[in-house]
Amino acid sequence: MKTNNKTKALAIIKTWGTLMGFFLLLIIFSSLRPDVFPSGRNLKNIIEQVATLAIVASGVTVVMITGDFDLSVGAIASLVGVVAALLMKSGVGTVPSILIALLLGTSAGLLNGVLIAFGGLSAFVGTLATMTAYGGIALLISKGTTIFALPENFRALGQGIIGFLPISVLIMAFTVFVVYILLEQTTYGRRLYAIGGNEEASFLSGIRTREVRLIAFGISGFFASLGGIVLTSRLFSAHPQAGSPFMLNAAAAVFLGMTSFREGEANIMGTLLGVFIIGVMGNGLNILGINTYVQSILTGAIIIFAVLLSSIAKKRQR
Amino acid sequence: MSKQDRREVLRIEGLAKQYPGVRALKNVDLSFDSGEVHGLVGENGAGKSTLIKILAGIVKADEGSFLFDSTPASINSSKDASKHGLCFIHQELNLVNYFNAMENIFLGHRYPHRFGPLVDWKKLKQQAQEILDVLAIDVPLEIPVLHLSAVQRAMVAIARAFAVKGSIYFMDEPATALTDIEKEKLFAVIQNLKNQGKTVVYVTHNLEDILRITDRVTIMRDGQVVKRSNTRDMTKDSLISAMIGKSLESAFPSSKTVIGKPLFVVEHLKNAYIHDISFTVHSGEILGIGGLVGSGRTELLETLYGVRSIDYGSIFLEGKPYRPSSPKKAIEQGVVLVPEERRKSGLVLNRSINENITLMSLSEVSRFGLLKHAYLRQRAKEAGKNVHLKASEYTQQVTTLSGGNQQKVVFAKTIMNMPKVLMLDEPSKGVDVGARFEIYSIIRDLAAKGAAILIVSSDFNEVLGLSDRILFIKEGAMTSIQPNKEIDQERYLHYCYGRTNA
Repeated sequence: MKTNNKTKALAIIKTWGTLMGFFLLLIIFSSLRPDVFPSGRNLKNIIEQVATLAIVASGVTVVMITGDFDLSVGAIASLVGVVAALLMKSGVGTVPSILIALLLGTSAGLLNGVLIAFGGLSAFVGTLATMTAYGGIALLISKGTTIFALPENFRALGQGIIGFLPISVLIMAFTVFVVYILLEQTTYGRRLYAIGGNEEASFLSGIRTREVRLIAFGISGFFASLGGIVLTSRLFSAHPQAGSPFMLNAAAAVFLGMTSFREGEANIMGTLLGVFIIGVMGNGLNILGINTYVQSILTGAIIIFAVLLSSIAKKRQR
Repeated sequence: MSKQDRREVLRIEGLAKQYPGVRALKNVDLSFDSGEVHGLVGENGAGKSTLIKILAGIVKADEGSFLFDSTPASINSSKDASKHGLCFIHQELNLVNYFNAMENIFLGHRYPHRFGPLVDWKKLKQQAQEILDVLAIDVPLEIPVLHLSAVQRAMVAIARAFAVKGSIYFMDEPATALTDIEKEKLFAVIQNLKNQGKTVVYVTHNLEDILRITDRVTIMRDGQVVKRSNTRDMTKDSLISAMIGKSLESAFPSSKTVIGKPLFVVEHLKNAYIHDISFTVHSGEILGIGGLVGSGRTELLETLYGVRSIDYGSIFLEGKPYRPSSPKKAIEQGVVLVPEERRKSGLVLNRSINENITLMSLSEVSRFGLLKHAYLRQRAKEAGKNVHLKASEYTQQVTTLSGGNQQKVVFAKTIMNMPKVLMLDEPSKGVDVGARFEIYSIIRDLAAKGAAILIVSSDFNEVLGLSDRILFIKEGAMTSIQPNKEIDQERYLHYCYGRTNA
């Protein structure tokens, strides 16, 4: 009887632990700073802050379903921002600049896919190398400086508002919706999850496993680019390393998400939860006046704690 | 070594092991002497590997006792096993690839030191060399074992066992990867071990090797010891008869097939694994593929399925050239495979039954890439019903199903669309008796509907019970193709072992 209760409790922690942790964070920050943290303005602030990370992390989710990894998203986001800014400054229209930059970022992602799925590089090594190279290109073409004075109509993506909703948040919602449909409602999603579960069985069932993985990197590249564009618009300037924090934060969000909703598998709702945990942590600790170095330490600790908790619960359940 | 010098080093009494639904070992008595090479033979499933796993401390016996040098002892862990001098040398030798031979030989030992913490490499080499000299082994000591030949690596493993003062060496198919010349070297080392008063227990399917190097032989069948003998009193024929024993039960549904036109024609097929294989399978026909493990049976099916490339030869499907470049292409043309190990290559274990069954037919249950969920569930349900799949919910993970039902999921997936050619690799492995009969019925039904079927199985009763004709291969080359009615169990084994004048 006792063990039965214990197993049940573990099962609940396993599935809902991360979500409960998220609410715990909200409660802690709200009770410590009831005047500031739970205010409508601050919550809107958080959502706006995490929008770009959510867009990038959605793409990384797709790659991580098959067990691959993408370290290059931060560099792609930076590069795409710099390229869009330079194009706009050189007189190319705002919309064409954005489209060209998105195309470039998607191609960078596809190149990752070619190297990894067809070239046989491990995802870690492959994207580590391209991250370095793409980052180098961004620094080279921007001459290492921040690009200011972008056309005014470029402001809308990152700072505009439709009704009461910020456009960046709408883009985030659209991204999450598209990725959700892709993963849950399409044959492509089925193939991704099948490969993640058993690549050999998938191949023998007639799935072109290499093509599927290649496309996943393209998708990751596209959303990294989209995130990079929105970020550039929000900051209204392009810096060759502006996207760098995406690399680890996106992966951290996906890892946190793997601990909930779909057991042990990357999934979009989990990723969104992970993104919000990271966002709320950053915002809450800022409000409490805790310095950013300590914030990093705490973020790292929380990831370890969440993943450890879920893997312990998993082991005990057997 | 004369008979008087021998003493009994290990005696096993009344060993029994029951797995759910299978009695793996019952009342097994065995004894091993010092200074002997002891052969252990039996068909797959006879209980050899369970026996070895128990001795290695991996599996615990239900009943039975062990006497080491007449002293009772128990084996509860691999540590116990090595404490009693048991060592195990099998195909995967567990060497550290990037270490050299002497490092591997003394792996887990304390290395000799000098000047405090520094390893005395000179002394280590000397100690390794001493062991190699005793065994008359010659392997380079200072290059990573990765670069050594298969036989040299086996020698390193033997030397390592010798270094831990092992007294009984269990060798499980140690010669499969070796050339004839290399095999001679291995046999010489076995002879040396024997001369040192060690015991070598040699497990193999290769009866010629048994006859050549063993002093005594124990034959197992259905979890029991059926014969013990001095090897010099045995012949290949008497070994085979003892291995077969029981009669073929009527465990197979009867054939209702009318054999039709040639459907699948393979001509002079060659690649790295198979050499010049030709055969024709007709519509409605079941062709068994006989041969030992490692004979190229699986590789033949994989080649026909587009997993392995074809170097030479041609294949015709319904008279049209067929040359698959991937499983996807094979499936598109109606050639499908139920692979050998369902957990490794047949199923996505953490996904649902629905998802697994429809994995091969995703384009059919979708439109413009969007899944038609209701239709998908309906098709999965139908396919599951056709194979008598027993599952409460099709949304449950496949990993929760029994072996038999898991295999039915693989079948449901593979035959959801009527295949033209169905290839089966070990279709009933790890499947309980009841589900087995159902699977055989499914196979028969498909043949009756006109599919051409190829079946590979280590269970020769299965091949004999289902096939219309049997193609025998040995070392990748076909030795003969025979109508089933002219083959009995004994002749079957003779063909597998490559004797053509049976």
